[in-house]
Amino acid sequence: MPGDLVTANDSSPRVIAYGLEATMINGLIAGEAAVVRTAMLRACAEQHVSINDVVAGARSVVITHPRDNAEVVRALLGSIDVSGAVKVSPVATPSVTLAVHYNGPDLDYVARQCGLTSQEVVTLHSGAKYVVEFCGFSPGFAYLTGLPAVLHLPRRATPRPRVPRGAVAIAAQYSAVYPRESPGGWHLLGVTDHELWNMARDQPATLTPGTIVSFEQIV
Amino acid sequence: MTLIIERAGLTTVQDYGRPGWAHLGVPHSGAVDRGSFLLANRLAGNEHSAAMLETSGGLSLRASVAVTVVITGADTDAYVNDQPLAHCKATLVHPGDAIRINRVLDGMRCYVAFTGGVHGLAQLNSLSHDSLSEIVPMPLTAGGEITLGTADRLATSLDVPIVPRRSPRLRLHVGPHHSLLTPEQRHGLATQQWITAQDSNRIGVRLTSSALRRNEFPELLSLPLVRGAVQLTPGGELVVMLADHPTTGGYPVVGVLASDAVDDIAQRPSGTPVVFGW
Repeated sequence: MPGDLVTANDSSPRVIAYGLEATMINGLIAGEAAVVRTAMLRACAEQHVSINDVVAGARSVVITHPRDNAEVVRALLGSIDVSGAVKVSPVATPSVTLAVHYNGPDLDYVARQCGLTSQEVVTLHSGAKYVVEFCGFSPGFAYLTGLPAVLHLPRRATPRPRVPRGAVAIAAQYSAVYPRESPGGWHLLGVTDHELWNMARDQPATLTPGTIVSFEQIV
Repeated sequence: MTLIIERAGLTTVQDYGRPGWAHLGVPHSGAVDRGSFLLANRLAGNEHSAAMLETSGGLSLRASVAVTVVITGADTDAYVNDQPLAHCKATLVHPGDAIRINRVLDGMRCYVAFTGGVHGLAQLNSLSHDSLSEIVPMPLTAGGEITLGTADRLATSLDVPIVPRRSPRLRLHVGPHHSLLTPEQRHGLATQQWITAQDSNRIGVRLTSSALRRNEFPELLSLPLVRGAVQLTPGGELVVMLADHPTTGGYPVVGVLASDAVDDIAQRPSGTPVVFGW
């Protein structure tokens, strides 16, 4: 289920073995995982290092690779200047604005819990700039960092068996949009008509690691 | 070049999976027992990643043309018409013949490859049925057809069939949360008698034990999962990630199995003992 809570990790990046066919860098800070992922893809292409997948998590990146490439992948990961990597060219970063009907069933609950009015919740949520930290849970489901701290709430005690496609939601420090109907435990603020996942497109996911996201209220 | 599906049973189309999409939340998927899958394609004279059927039984097909079939993986109760269909043998099937895979014996799934491979319209570059994301490029239903490619290499047979081996001790390799475990917990993982649980599937194998110990690990940030990752649940059970595993998860990964050990554990029916070692 999405919505893992934040716990303090030790902060300096470390490269560690993840079995024989994967290597991981963890201890990254928010926003770094997507950048490290891009840097690693570039480094492996330039050095002709054969890898399978480069997957961002929250504060971590895992590279799966043939067993024989463990050493070289480890060395490449260790050589990435994480702090420098964040200064990526803004031109190369995709951005998207999603139009939202803020009519979700949890809007009033979130407002009460945060000591705000519903409109204040909407103003805060749609006024923030978000970045896709990583994807998971289901195809095209992106974990967006940038949610204002006042809106950080634990997940619902009981997940809903059915969350509609396009539902715009929040939990812990993340916001997200459900790409398809599924069960879910996040707080639902509204819904967007934007199709976030379509395998018939060249780029099936609208929200990929590193994408900058804004929400716009439909009035 | 087609086969008519008379009964699909517990069958999916699988190839070598869907690499390159995990960063978007798409599981790798593909054959659960990669060793048996690769062997089937080798014997059938196919490319190593050619699509085939992965079945746990209840499958009945009728050939509309002559095809060569090879079965690997778990031993099966299988027939061509009334004749037993031998394991790891290239068997020529004539037009009108019925291929039946009734059930698997002492295992979880077998692989049914056809010379030329199963063809269809791929989704995200793969024909694999992904049970977690419900990506199903080729649903199999009674009355439907399976299209095969043309064979350009000869099939071969083994004199002695290879069936999944069951190692007495599966080696755990160090994973991301190794350092969270106390020496007693590491020792416990390797000395406890684990049992494969009933609800194991293409996503994972759940392992339980008569001496489960709850643990108090902090809730973790989501991290990417890999095939073979062994997650420890708060209740003390283990879940081994198989082909359709979610791309990220929040439980501690206490060890990682090598690829051949994943094949091994995935073929163990529920109630089978499992012993790990470091």
